[in-house]
Amino acid sequence: MLSETIYHLRDGVQVRKEKFGLLFYNYRGPRLYFVPTEDLLDPDFFTSCRKAGELVDSIEAANAWPRSWIENWVDRIMITLEQKGLIYGQSIC
Amino acid sequence: MGNQYVDMGLSAPVNVTWEVTYACNLSCIHCLSDGGKKRRGELTTEECMQVIDTLSEMKVFQFNIGGGEPFMRSDFLDLIDYAHAREMVTCISTNGTLIDDDIARRLDSPLVYIQVSLDGASPDSNDAIRGKGSFRNVIKALACLRKRDIEVSINTVLTHRSFPELDRMVALAAEYGAKLRVSRFRPSGRGKASWSQLNIGKTQMIAFSDWLSRHLRVSTGDSFFSISTEDRRSLGLNMCGACKLTCCISPEGNVYPCAFLQDQEFLAGRLPADDFADIWENSPVFHSFRALEIKSCESCHRFDLCHGGCPAIAYHTQRKLGIPDPGCLANCVSIKPMAAEVYQ
Repeated sequence: MLSETIYHLRDGVQVRKEKFGLLFYNYRGPRLYFVPTEDLLDPDFFTSCRKAGELVDSIEAANAWPRSWIENWVDRIMITLEQKGLIYGQSIC
Repeated sequence: MGNQYVDMGLSAPVNVTWEVTYACNLSCIHCLSDGGKKRRGELTTEECMQVIDTLSEMKVFQFNIGGGEPFMRSDFLDLIDYAHAREMVTCISTNGTLIDDDIARRLDSPLVYIQVSLDGASPDSNDAIRGKGSFRNVIKALACLRKRDIEVSINTVLTHRSFPELDRMVALAAEYGAKLRVSRFRPSGRGKASWSQLNIGKTQMIAFSDWLSRHLRVSTGDSFFSISTEDRRSLGLNMCGACKLTCCISPEGNVYPCAFLQDQEFLAGRLPADDFADIWENSPVFHSFRALEIKSCESCHRFDLCHGGCPAIAYHTQRKLGIPDPGCLANCVSIKPMAAEVYQ
């Protein structure tokens, strides 16, 4: 779990909220990436300097789900977005 | 493309095609907007800035700007700067003839893409469609843009004249560090009058489909999903994006489903007077377009590849929506069905 990591949008990447979750746009292409996060992840997360662990905390507080499940979900999303070149992680440890 | 997410309805277009003026210094025989002289009622600079503000607030990511010839507007570069200050990407379709070193310098931004129109690989073939001297001027523009390392595509409208020159167009684009984009000829604007003269037939369309499969780096935008093949399915849309991912604003601020459907019956509203968010969300025109089903295509093995193709071509050739794209190849060529849907 990368709980101490802050994630930022890469240069040229924008993101907005949609019904299904987040829609990323990367002007360096490929242009669009649809991420079905529903209401669990807000675009502001990527500009707020909040740690991934804090995101897990807020999801856990709002939903009666096992913490390990939420941690895995957040990890998977962030790793995928990093691999797609849309975000980068900055460890504050 | 994540069609299932698009079908849920997006909060705003991903990109908006904006024809900023009808004024043009060329008189191409296939011009989709019948460009020529500036017309009364074109948006002022202030109105254009209001439009940019509105779309920026809705988080529209990109403008696809065309005309007419955008550089005919004396305020055009200021409008581009205004959009960039709001982090909006501008993809500018131009005939290239007005681009010089000074303009190239102003365009030198990572938020700019330039698409220069060229309809042949030689002065003879290009100028027959776009006007005398246009080939030479476009080549000059390409050289100016290359010096600045600005990302450029050469856009060629597929006609029976340009089709035999596509290999040479690929080479020409490479010579100037540009990509080649082939877009579909549609019978709107002056294209209505030149349709029968320039449109390619099914035999050439089949040959073009094969050619595209051999040239995966050639882009087609959203033009050719009617002939999409499995090997190109990740390169672009597999459905019409009108009213789902995109829409069009005319030089007067009229909002339409797409640049090729600017007839009165498709008018959804007018900017900046009307609320764009309301148009996007509630316009009956946009609602009916989103609900458009091409029932006769749904049993076709190619349906997931094209979703019935381009409604604008169906409309302009047969005055009907909801019918198959006349350029569909399903009945004359066997193309492998799509294995599974992917999104990116």
